[in-house]
Amino acid sequence: MNRETLLGKSRARIDAPAKVTGEAIYTADLKLPRMLYAKVLRSPHPHARILSIDVSKATSLKGVEAVITGRDAYGEKWGVFPYTQDHALIAIEKVRYIGEEVAAVAAETEEIAQEAIQLIDVRYEPLPAVFTIEEAMSEGAPKIHDQYERNLNIHVSINVGDVDKAFKEADVIVEDEVTSDGETYAMMEPYAVVAQYTTDGYLDVWVPNAGPHVRSKALSNLLKIPLNKVRIRHITIGGAFGGRSEVNPNDFVTCLLSIKARRPVKLVLSREETFIATRQVHDMKVWMKTGAKKDGTIIAKDYRAYYNGGAYSSTGPIATSIPFYVYEETYRLPNVRYNGYRVITNKCARGMFGHHGRAFQMGNTIQMDRIAEKLGLDPMDIRLKNALHSGDKTATGSVITSCGLSESIKTAASMSGWKEKRGKLPMYRGIGMGSLAIMCGFPMGFRSGSSAFIRMNESGQITVFTAIVDNGQGNENMAVTIAAETLGVPIGDVNLVNADTEMTEHDPGAYSQTATFVSGNAVMRAALDVKRQVLEIASSKLQVSIKDLDIQNGVVFATYDPSKNIKVANIAKIAMGMGNNIVGKGAYFPKISPDREWIKNPFGQMAGTYSFNTVVAEVEVDPETGVVKIVNVWEAQDCGNPINPKTIEGQIEGCVSRAGVGALQEELRWDKGLVLNANFLDYKMPLSIQQPSVTKKLITTNDPEGPFGAKEGALTCSMNVYKAVVSAVYDATGIWIREYPITPERILKALKRKKERGKQNHL
Amino acid sequence: MIVLNVNGREYTLDVPENKTLLEVLRADLELTGVKEGCDRGECGACTVLVDGKPFRSCMLLAVEAQGKEITTIEGLAKNGQLHPLQRSFIENQAVQCGFCTPGMVLTASAFLAENPQPSREDAARAISGNICRCTGYTKIIDAIMQASQRQQGVET
Repeated sequence: MNRETLLGKSRARIDAPAKVTGEAIYTADLKLPRMLYAKVLRSPHPHARILSIDVSKATSLKGVEAVITGRDAYGEKWGVFPYTQDHALIAIEKVRYIGEEVAAVAAETEEIAQEAIQLIDVRYEPLPAVFTIEEAMSEGAPKIHDQYERNLNIHVSINVGDVDKAFKEADVIVEDEVTSDGETYAMMEPYAVVAQYTTDGYLDVWVPNAGPHVRSKALSNLLKIPLNKVRIRHITIGGAFGGRSEVNPNDFVTCLLSIKARRPVKLVLSREETFIATRQVHDMKVWMKTGAKKDGTIIAKDYRAYYNGGAYSSTGPIATSIPFYVYEETYRLPNVRYNGYRVITNKCARGMFGHHGRAFQMGNTIQMDRIAEKLGLDPMDIRLKNALHSGDKTATGSVITSCGLSESIKTAASMSGWKEKRGKLPMYRGIGMGSLAIMCGFPMGFRSGSSAFIRMNESGQITVFTAIVDNGQGNENMAVTIAAETLGVPIGDVNLVNADTEMTEHDPGAYSQTATFVSGNAVMRAALDVKRQVLEIASSKLQVSIKDLDIQNGVVFATYDPSKNIKVANIAKIAMGMGNNIVGKGAYFPKISPDREWIKNPFGQMAGTYSFNTVVAEVEVDPETGVVKIVNVWEAQDCGNPINPKTIEGQIEGCVSRAGVGALQEELRWDKGLVLNANFLDYKMPLSIQQPSVTKKLITTNDPEGPFGAKEGALTCSMNVYKAVVSAVYDATGIWIREYPITPERILKALKRKKERGKQNHL
Repeated sequence: MIVLNVNGREYTLDVPENKTLLEVLRADLELTGVKEGCDRGECGACTVLVDGKPFRSCMLLAVEAQGKEITTIEGLAKNGQLHPLQRSFIENQAVQCGFCTPGMVLTASAFLAENPQPSREDAARAISGNICRCTGYTKIIDAIMQASQRQQGVET
């Protein structure tokens, strides 16, 4: 008898009932006894020396319980890496962007806190500031941090093969310069923090985050509180998209206020503060050159990519690397030189976003398509020609294991009618393609691995303990499904305790597509350990050998004779009676190179596996208004083995919205250091009426390492959809747009330029 | 003192007249299913029904809502039975992070009450003032269509 599986079925998510009824509690919903309300005083200057701060009036205002400034911090600076510790998380001596935290107040009500903030008197000496990459790197530019000469924060240098020699051997060479404006994450939940410090020295923190253990360790270091006394608690999280990956200044000030007031403190940022003072997305400028042989084989690539990093390092070394890696994980690059420069400017610090370098990836698409055109090749065929396959090595030495890249290219092409459409559609209608890979996790030292444990109660029901965070993508449901499937108990018999540093073991966090592959693997192994213990007892009770036993619906049975069976609940009680309760433990550490480092040693195995995706998009361009409409999207995703297909579909549809529709309209607009569109009217969020129809195909590659063969499920689509759009706009108009987003203004400008040049349309 | 009728119950409240309905619902009545996403009427997360019509509770003063029937997400399920839209949102995985969900469900419920047999385009237009960052809206529209069909007695 074979047992039924939960996998591959689009079951409802366990977190949905609480969310549709309003029962789900997000950070801003929390109310604790004696809780105070916080407000932050933010810098009005992009760059200034703080001469003095007078908090006396604020402190004496009735109802104010604590006022803090940089003097109340402990002199530690935050950095993801020891060599990037440059962010005090509350200004000391200088402010470096408009919106930076200067002081904060905790009071009995929000109104009192707001009034108190206005009573704080700060004297600044404004300093010259820089806002663009060019300004920051120019001769004689003001230095924003003493340690960064010419404001150069990070330099990632990768040099493989002999690039100069390869260019000499190339039959065709293209060169492009591409820029992209920065975006905002725009998760629907504004940033919020609740911190509760008690006299026994414990600090409990509720905050939207992508990895509780990474967050508690950072706060422990910065606040000089032992790690066991800083506890990040589980809370529902309203989106992340890469913007909640590391400790945030707003966490720090809320904790400081609670420590000073010895009362719980809640800080809820306004939408504007969430735009200007949490994290933003890098704007970029990339120069790139590609050389290929006549048959379309790419033999040389040279990149100089500049990232506007804002005022602090944030996840800089990673953010300056990932755009390159997702590309090298897709195509064979025998000779490649990548120079990534992250530059400090007087803007809010920039973090990682799922789009991973719009200018970089769009530039790669432009060059691939341009080479294909010069050589008379189909853009699809040149992709297939250079695609990596299972067993290949990337330029920096990562072995690709399971790989559905070529299949994804062919599938997306055939679904969309590519061969009949590319270059053949009517004027102002076009079709384009984008393909990319992504790593499932990256080296984070000992944090690269995850461990989980599972206990069983006397009814044979289990509780899974894992640090897995759910930012909305369905990770909680994934963990429960994997445990239930592994053990053979109903989903309703599986409880979950997660994302709480006190109750769970270490875990990398929900970064870079690790959750299913790494954390899910640990949960599966813990469930296997439980299963082994259950079967051992069942074997002796039923007198059936373990290899002939399985579990379904909470019943252990002999596979050759299901009438020989015993309930898991009975086994749980037997185990308890033996003084040997069933508790399972499992850990997973991906097969990666432990000595790989983003700057010092960017070589070796990056991740345990990679996943692949291709998107084809069809667009319509209105030559009168310059408006681009995405008419149709087809995408083919290699996610290993899909655990819950509808969940992956939902991720894909979300990517098409954020990255596809977003590529036409999303950008932060600036007047020097001031964000001009820090609201949802002026920052153009993709809407329901803009969403194109998306035809989806999941390609099953059954990854040998992934839990039940599963790996990343859809972030690749995020990058591919905007690549496909830029290529489709070219197919529609004969114009390569090299500045992003692809706004109507830019389309009209380009159409006008083209008309002036009097060139014939390629059609 | 003001009197508010929320989810079928009357509340007599002592609130300053500059308080928005959103603030009063969340802070005074602890109806935290009403979400604050922007406080400027731009995102739709704080949508509640006022006499059956969707309103952004951040754009309405609490005093203005007196004498009207206010429904929040907490009041949509009746006698322990989820509203058909709540069921269809769950079944269609129209919920990811969930922050826009209460506003979406309430907007959709008012829309279906007025337009019980909409096209997908109608449904998309009805929720075009509610921003969702996660889902790309497709499954939300699936959920609205399924609830509509169920209300017509077509089981899907």
